[in-house]
Amino acid sequence: MWHRPGVRESGRGMMAEESGQQDDRLDPLVRSAFREALVVSLIWLAAMVWSVGVSWWLGYGRSVQDLKLVLGFPEWVFWGIVVPWVSCAGISWLFAVCFVRDGELGEDLEDADDLGLGG
Amino acid sequence: MWRSSNAVLLLAQQTDAASRVGSGAMLMLVLFIAGSLWIGVLANRAASAGGFMKGFFLGNRGLGVWALALTATIQSGGTFMGFPSLVYSHGWIVALWIGSYMVVPITGFGILGKRLAQLSRRTGAITVPDMFRVRFGSPTLGLMSTLFILFYLSFLMFAQFKAGAIVLQLAWPGGTDLALSEDGAGISEWRYHVGLLVFATTVVGYTLAGGFLAAVWTDLFQSVLMFAGVMLLLVASLSAVGGLEQATLRSLENTGPGFVFGPGYAADGGDHQFLPLSLAISFFVVWIWGGVGAPAGLVRLMASQNTNVIRKSIYVLSIYNLGIYLPLIVICVCGRALLPNLAKSDEIVPRLALLTTAGWPGGSLVAGLILAAPFGAVMSTVSSYLVVLSSGVVRDIYQRFLRPQAQRDELRMAAWLTMILAGLISVAVMWSPPKYLQVFIVFSTSGAAATFLVPAIMACYWRRATPAGAAAGMISGAVVVLFLYLCGIMGWSPAQAIGAAGGFRPWFLLGLEPLIWGLLASSSSAVLVSLLTAPLPAEHISRLFDRRASAEGEAV
Repeated sequence: MWHRPGVRESGRGMMAEESGQQDDRLDPLVRSAFREALVVSLIWLAAMVWSVGVSWWLGYGRSVQDLKLVLGFPEWVFWGIVVPWVSCAGISWLFAVCFVRDGELGEDLEDADDLGLGG
Repeated sequence: MWRSSNAVLLLAQQTDAASRVGSGAMLMLVLFIAGSLWIGVLANRAASAGGFMKGFFLGNRGLGVWALALTATIQSGGTFMGFPSLVYSHGWIVALWIGSYMVVPITGFGILGKRLAQLSRRTGAITVPDMFRVRFGSPTLGLMSTLFILFYLSFLMFAQFKAGAIVLQLAWPGGTDLALSEDGAGISEWRYHVGLLVFATTVVGYTLAGGFLAAVWTDLFQSVLMFAGVMLLLVASLSAVGGLEQATLRSLENTGPGFVFGPGYAADGGDHQFLPLSLAISFFVVWIWGGVGAPAGLVRLMASQNTNVIRKSIYVLSIYNLGIYLPLIVICVCGRALLPNLAKSDEIVPRLALLTTAGWPGGSLVAGLILAAPFGAVMSTVSSYLVVLSSGVVRDIYQRFLRPQAQRDELRMAAWLTMILAGLISVAVMWSPPKYLQVFIVFSTSGAAATFLVPAIMACYWRRATPAGAAAGMISGAVVVLFLYLCGIMGWSPAQAIGAAGGFRPWFLLGLEPLIWGLLASSSSAVLVSLLTAPLPAEHISRLFDRRASAEGEAV
């Protein structure tokens, strides 16, 4: 039994961030969380492209003669892993301090069956 | 010349050091066990305020920054134990294999953290199935999630019990084996059985006393120990080998070009590729989205105190990960330079610890700490599984379907009985353990993520998601991962010379990890079925997504 009939259905809206009347009612914490999740996903994608891309470019299909060391790391490890890793630590700090918004999480719903689930 | 004379010296040192490992490691383990039991008692006091269910299974939603940051996204003990062995065997390429951990802190907390913490309060959810049940208005979906969680956690629990027993057995005074390998060579049967009983009694005992908080605090305890151990070993190894440049060049001499370049070193000189491009991309997906979708991690996000805690956890974990993973890689590269021909690659960290701290005052204790750290990781992992498993049985089955009117004492008794029973079953199953269990750990981790990630994201952000859509996402993700693992294990797939070597491997369809196919199946079926089925009532969705009447006009 996936759906109880006889109750007004929600709109055909998609993601939490929407335009119009529904957007006005949307809890600001849901909106900021969704926006932050999108930015985080882009950061993940950028890190993947940089890290895998640079490592592939400088570190695959090479011979010993090509080996260059930077601070003791193979060149591809330094530019493809160490540098983005340190950058990501900095970006994470900036993201947490400057971009993430605090909000009220609200009180616990004392009885979930207030939502009419039964069982 | 250097190599041959030093090899003799190293061998002599190792033999001498191995005979001393038992007392140091056993002392650290005894201290660790005592510390964990004490934590259980403290957690019992802290959790006893308020209602039993929320206190015992969710720590009254009181997790602070350190507890959340260092325990919510870190993988199980098994992952930590296998990682050094991979670096030793395949070289610098493992830095790319684990490279996605650079974004784990930001993804682990930034994608679902804030919203899940809010949604769990709005639904009054104490467990992950609880959250699905109320969010999607479907007891059926709640029950289905409970059954999936019980299924995956059973595999994970059994494997960890075996690992815990083996660590205790190896730390036995006079023991000389240092690896956690599962091949059983040299394993003494009675020591294994005593180890199993001591491990089970300890972990069930303190989890019984302190519930969720005991699991989290021991996890925190071992994370701090692990950090201290890695820092000490980093300094010791680099000074022993004469710097990182020396370590890289000497390990290259001891192996071959594959040790410093992709796709990684293969000891047999064959054409096996540890990390071809397809798997490099795969692991950037697997570690990140597998972590976000892990049920034990989701529960901890639900238990976070407030948004400020979630925000600060991002940068605390960033610093922790930077201080653990890159140094561990450096340590193991030093290990390949100093100990070039270990028969068991799993032994690299303890052997290196014994070698490099031999001249230190209290060196055997440092080595003991490093050997004891995996035991702590295993114990805290089992403890957290016990809590999730017991909450699934008590909250989602017993209280929901069998005894809705059960009171505090009855629920407490049910929780305790469930944990004791889980411990007894695990001991019984592992009394004569199957040879290889690592594959079940990997399968269960991938399977759980493929099952829960997409429904959890939909629950948090998609108003139009329906219970049938969430169920389709769970089932299809689970089935695809199970199928690809079965194909690999049963030999139904074509031979593939990629990935970590080992007898049990999944089918890397098109060279990609099974989790990627699981997530693709899960997301496409969840969206499609949601769009084809009737949406949930608007009032229900509004309660979970929109401003509350009392909160109208409040600034954020």
